[in-house]
Amino acid sequence: MIYLCRYSPHLIDFCNYRITTQHPDNITKAMNCTNYDACPECDLLLNNSSPRLGEKAYCPRCGLLLSHPKKQSVERTFALSIAGFILFFPSLLLPMVGITVLGSANTGILLSGVIALFKESMWPVAIVVFLASILFPLVHLSLSLLISGHLYFNRPNRFLVHWMHWMQHLDEWVMLEVYMLGIIVACVKLMAIAPLQFGWGLYAFIALLIITTQLTAGLDKKLFWHHIALLQKGHNHGR
Amino acid sequence: MAANALKQGFVRCHDCGLLISTAEHSASCPRCHSELHARRPQSLQRCAAFLASSFFLYIPANIFPIMTVNQFGAGDPHTIAGGIVELFDSGMIPIGLLVLVASILVPTSKLVGIALLLLCAHFRWQVNARRWTTLYRIIAFVGRWSMLDIFMISILVDLVNFSGVQIIAGPAATAFAAVVILTMFAAENFDPRLLWDHQKAYE
Repeated sequence: MIYLCRYSPHLIDFCNYRITTQHPDNITKAMNCTNYDACPECDLLLNNSSPRLGEKAYCPRCGLLLSHPKKQSVERTFALSIAGFILFFPSLLLPMVGITVLGSANTGILLSGVIALFKESMWPVAIVVFLASILFPLVHLSLSLLISGHLYFNRPNRFLVHWMHWMQHLDEWVMLEVYMLGIIVACVKLMAIAPLQFGWGLYAFIALLIITTQLTAGLDKKLFWHHIALLQKGHNHGR
Repeated sequence: MAANALKQGFVRCHDCGLLISTAEHSASCPRCHSELHARRPQSLQRCAAFLASSFFLYIPANIFPIMTVNQFGAGDPHTIAGGIVELFDSGMIPIGLLVLVASILVPTSKLVGIALLLLCAHFRWQVNARRWTTLYRIIAFVGRWSMLDIFMISILVDLVNFSGVQIIAGPAATAFAAVVILTMFAAENFDPRLLWDHQKAYE
């Protein structure tokens, strides 16, 4: 029994799947495995139909968003990762928030929080903050730049698969938006004590945050994997 | 007859999502070369191990001070709960609620939620698997937001560093960061397909 789910925009559609009664052994023998797909969270066997732009495909059993094709995913990812790369350095190096207490001023940048924790010998926390707010975002941006660049210019590369692996694993550990919330809460706490000044670093950081969220939202992993497989295949045949 | 892909002889690659017939007996994915597993390897064991260690670290994270405000030599240690009470007392209720959700409600409900998921998968409870999968999704989504407290402390420690007033991070910060990271690992290692595998209603 195979669920052939038809994809409908914005709705989980329970009525539109047909059930065919075939013996599983026959199916396994007869079919080319790329015709089928499985839900990653409930393992339902599905028909591998790709929804059109603007449509969403949901798993009929568990309701997981299976795929949501994006307009010009490769081009947009390439453009956004270049923009993110440019914005990363001002947001890392320019002052973000300044505070004045009794005439003496103090400014904080993204890196100085890590350094301050290191100085207090809280190095485990310092390392975690450094990874989640600086290193992983940077690596994630460079990987998406590399991958989308190769795909955009149709250049095969044997590392593409590895880069894609790393990028997927890093996805969850890039915590810029959580850091932004941390800045907001810290500022609200400090505002009661002393006047604050906001610097260009903060504005660059907000822009970087918007770009990275756009980047992860617009990255169509299914399309990327497919594209990479085609590139590698063409490359191997060419040699 | 089962609707599960595995029971019909297919394995989905963890990393690139390619569906591969088990009849091919391949150990790695032909597209991305990562190792093939029908389910996450040792999912429940690893998840339980991470959960247990985060549970034990959760105790020092709540007992010890997460930061100390040094004002002219006099130290004023704050625990996680103490910081929230102070926010409420000074009238910053929305921010207080935000910190309450991110640093107390979320970690606690995560620990309980992952424990429930583990019990359900281990004892093969017959449940509404769709609802339990939603629980898993919420846990997986919400986990990273608990790092809020850690980031906030790193900013406060950096900014409030004057000769008269200083903020110093406390031992609970390390424990709390470890709790957040370990519960994230636990959620990552839990395989929601294990909730569906033993449901008789779907066979």
